Amino acid sequence: MLEYLVFLLVVLPVLSAVALLCIKNEGPRKSVVIATGAVLAFCSLALFAGGSFQLRPQSMLGLDPDVLVTGLDFALLAVILGIAVKLKSPLLIALGLLQILPLGYFEYSFARHAAAGPSLAADNLSLIMVLLVGFVGSLVCVYGLGYMKEHEAHLGLKKTRQPRFFFFLVLFLGAMNGLVLSNSLAWVYFFWEATTVCSFALIGHDGTQEARANSVRALWMNMLGGVAFALALIAVYKASGTVLLSDLLAHPGGGASLALLAAFFLLCFAGFTKAAQLPFQSWLCGAMVAPTPVSALLHSSTMVKAGVYLILRLAPAYAGTSLSSLIALFGAFAFLTTAALAIGQSNAKKILAYSTIGNLGVIVACAGINTPASIAAGVMLLIFHAVSKALLFLCVGAIEQRIGSRDIEDMRGLIAVMPRAAALTVAGILTMLLPPFGVLLTKWMAIESAMASPLLVLILALGSALTVVFWTRWAGLLLSAPMPAAGLVAPGAAVQAASMRIPMTLLAYGAVLAGLASPLIYRSLAAPFVSLFYKGAAYDVSAGSFASGAGTFSVYPLFLLLGAGFFYALRLARRLPARSASAPYLCGEQTGDAAGNVFRGPLGPVAATPANLYLSAICGEEVLTRWINVIAMTMLAVMFGGIL
Amino acid sequence: MTSKFLLALALTIAAPFIGGLVTGIDRKITARLQSRYGPPIAQPFYDVLKLLGKDRMVVNMWQALCPVVTLTASALCVFLFGMQADLLLIFFVLTVGGVFLIMGAMAAPSPYSQIGAQRELMQMLAYEPLLILVFVSFSMVTGSFKIADVYAYGRPLLPQLPLMFIVLGYALTIKLRKSPFDIAACHHAHQEIVRGVLTEYSGPNLALIEIAHWFDVALILGLCSLFWSTSALGAATLLAGAYFLELVIDNVTARMTWRFMLQNALGVGLALSVLNIVWQSFNN
Repeated sequence: MLEYLVFLLVVLPVLSAVALLCIKNEGPRKSVVIATGAVLAFCSLALFAGGSFQLRPQSMLGLDPDVLVTGLDFALLAVILGIAVKLKSPLLIALGLLQILPLGYFEYSFARHAAAGPSLAADNLSLIMVLLVGFVGSLVCVYGLGYMKEHEAHLGLKKTRQPRFFFFLVLFLGAMNGLVLSNSLAWVYFFWEATTVCSFALIGHDGTQEARANSVRALWMNMLGGVAFALALIAVYKASGTVLLSDLLAHPGGGASLALLAAFFLLCFAGFTKAAQLPFQSWLCGAMVAPTPVSALLHSSTMVKAGVYLILRLAPAYAGTSLSSLIALFGAFAFLTTAALAIGQSNAKKILAYSTIGNLGVIVACAGINTPASIAAGVMLLIFHAVSKALLFLCVGAIEQRIGSRDIEDMRGLIAVMPRAAALTVAGILTMLLPPFGVLLTKWMAIESAMASPLLVLILALGSALTVVFWTRWAGLLLSAPMPAAGLVAPGAAVQAASMRIPMTLLAYGAVLAGLASPLIYRSLAAPFVSLFYKGAAYDVSAGSFASGAGTFSVYPLFLLLGAGFFYALRLARRLPARSASAPYLCGEQTGDAAGNVFRGPLGPVAATPANLYLSAICGEEVLTRWINVIAMTMLAVMFGGIL
Repeated sequence: MTSKFLLALALTIAAPFIGGLVTGIDRKITARLQSRYGPPIAQPFYDVLKLLGKDRMVVNMWQALCPVVTLTASALCVFLFGMQADLLLIFFVLTVGGVFLIMGAMAAPSPYSQIGAQRELMQMLAYEPLLILVFVSFSMVTGSFKIADVYAYGRPLLPQLPLMFIVLGYALTIKLRKSPFDIAACHHAHQEIVRGVLTEYSGPNLALIEIAHWFDVALILGLCSLFWSTSALGAATLLAGAYFLELVIDNVTARMTWRFMLQNALGVGLALSVLNIVWQSFNN
């Protein structure tokens, strides 16, 4: 039974992907994508219901699975090398060779001697990731159906390129499932490289010059991580005689040797590249040229989450080391600086990208803080962030298709044009920003779990204050519209295709309900994982409140009181009589224009054009990025030097 | 637990009266400092009652929604303070109020409320880090973020965190919209933004925001009192002194720009905090 479930989760997406590559018609494509998504969601639930497991598949297609994965691994690296040669890039070729040679060395000298063990395994962290892929990933793929139709109509393509698009999109889900269910690092490495190739293909999907350039950047940065991973395979085996994660984590906190610590650093380095941590943030920012479903997938349930997954996964193994403290500082630094960078941006996708990097920074920091409370915070942030961020990307995609811009300044008054999408965006923003929702709860957990280090608390707290600025002004300007003449709530002006609307709505409900269910999520998902590796309970959860020695966060009371206030306010606002509408104040000099912001001037009407403060002299990319990169690289160097 | 709950409830009910009264006294003393007679001390209550009786006029529905949420959040903060809850939690709930106030202001296309909203954001950017720093410094002394542990600590915090009191003073000046940081909602008639972030709120909506502001005043005074939590008399003296100093600063300074505010509040605030926190960690 278990074998079938794992097979369905990892191999079915591959088969569906191949089928999608062959299907040229919209109808069958729709059925395959929706059916695959439904099966993945169902199987992820079934797998979760079964709980943790370890599994050693005996044979696959009549072959030894280890041999099969090794073969596929070399095939994949050959594909990458082929791409590198085709692009005539010496850097990519070098990075490709730097992976093939160590991998060859590893397979030739060690792999045959390695004791056979379970190559697949799952605990709650893996199962959470599978659930995220199964639900959030599938919803994003379904959204892609409606989005790509519109997208290609807009581009005016003669021949549809959707088979290629959905091939990689669905393949991605399988690769991600494989990655999180693998227990052997050699297997993880294979799926790791598979996600790199998928993201390269998807980022460059539109084939414009910019798309190609950004996809190459994503490729080389992730290959840098791949090189570190390949070297780590050798280092891990040399230091410990095993590449099985379950063996490496068998003695948590039991003083890893220096050689092993160096190997963990290499793996974390690979994680940093994949999670687009500083100074590798540019590949994720560049990835926004891809069609929106790609961004949504990269940011929510796949790709970047693979990076933090690996770092969180290894956290117990490097607990209590100086590497751990430095990782905490490194993540917190990313959170603070990307929050500042996001303040300087008006491009919605870039704001979301920086916010993703920042939130992943918090997860990395949580792994580095390495206490039961912080690990629980990291695991839960992984969940809440995936849902809210997927929602926000899907909203921006729908908005961009309608208004032709992703600049937030162009979204002023969107509530009058696209009431539903604007309201969902505001909902997404509020779930990212405010209590009692999950993202903020985990931020609170992270800050309080860092209490032993005032510097860390300081950085996390400052970052948290900065995020308020860029989220609030975005939510506010979406609502900035005069009262519609027909009534207080504008009639639904824009309607997206059902395949886009339904995933957006479901994710919005998911984001709110996940916040409401946070005590449950802690008890049934995060706490069991934490207790595998750490002694002592992180939080005492009772009556919907999280309590620890450091403080208390009352989820249910907050939901109740703030929710009551909100719904009373909503009812009040909806029931306003039409006569309460008034024009905005313009010193009595308004022209009576429908926009409501045009002054009567001596030489004719003068429109007041509002704009946000972007603090570009302080928060501009051109001001900050260079310094941030220098500091981040120094921190990485110190991390590595500190081990040696 | 029950007695704590009742105390918190009583505090929540009393808070707007305390806040309103403080505002009334504030106006009276300010008037005297400017050689005016000034309004009666209960004037803020008369104003709000009058506003509550007016028709609810809005530019769009969000303007009716936002003040209610702001008021809920502000009242909740005081309630949480009464429950001696988590300081960070109170801080985050306080953010809810600020965020909805700004969203409501941005919902109106009027340039005054737009500029006011942007400036209010800058004010939040200036005072939020300072408030957090104050809470972090509390946690370093008492070992937790719970207000209950401040009271359980048994000694006044002021001698250990003197610089943090000044930092809180900065945050207070900004949050209470006092000069030189009254940049988002300046009430002086000759200034160009016509109360900025509050321009488009009128009638009952404005009244709700005013009441929310009273809650905030009460909360901030409560936070100040934590610096001398061991004695009611000590706390009262500290509060009276701090608030009077606040009034003097309000009257002797001119309104500055948001750039000045960010540089000054964050620069000085961060420097003082680091000094105090480093000094504090060496002491331990």
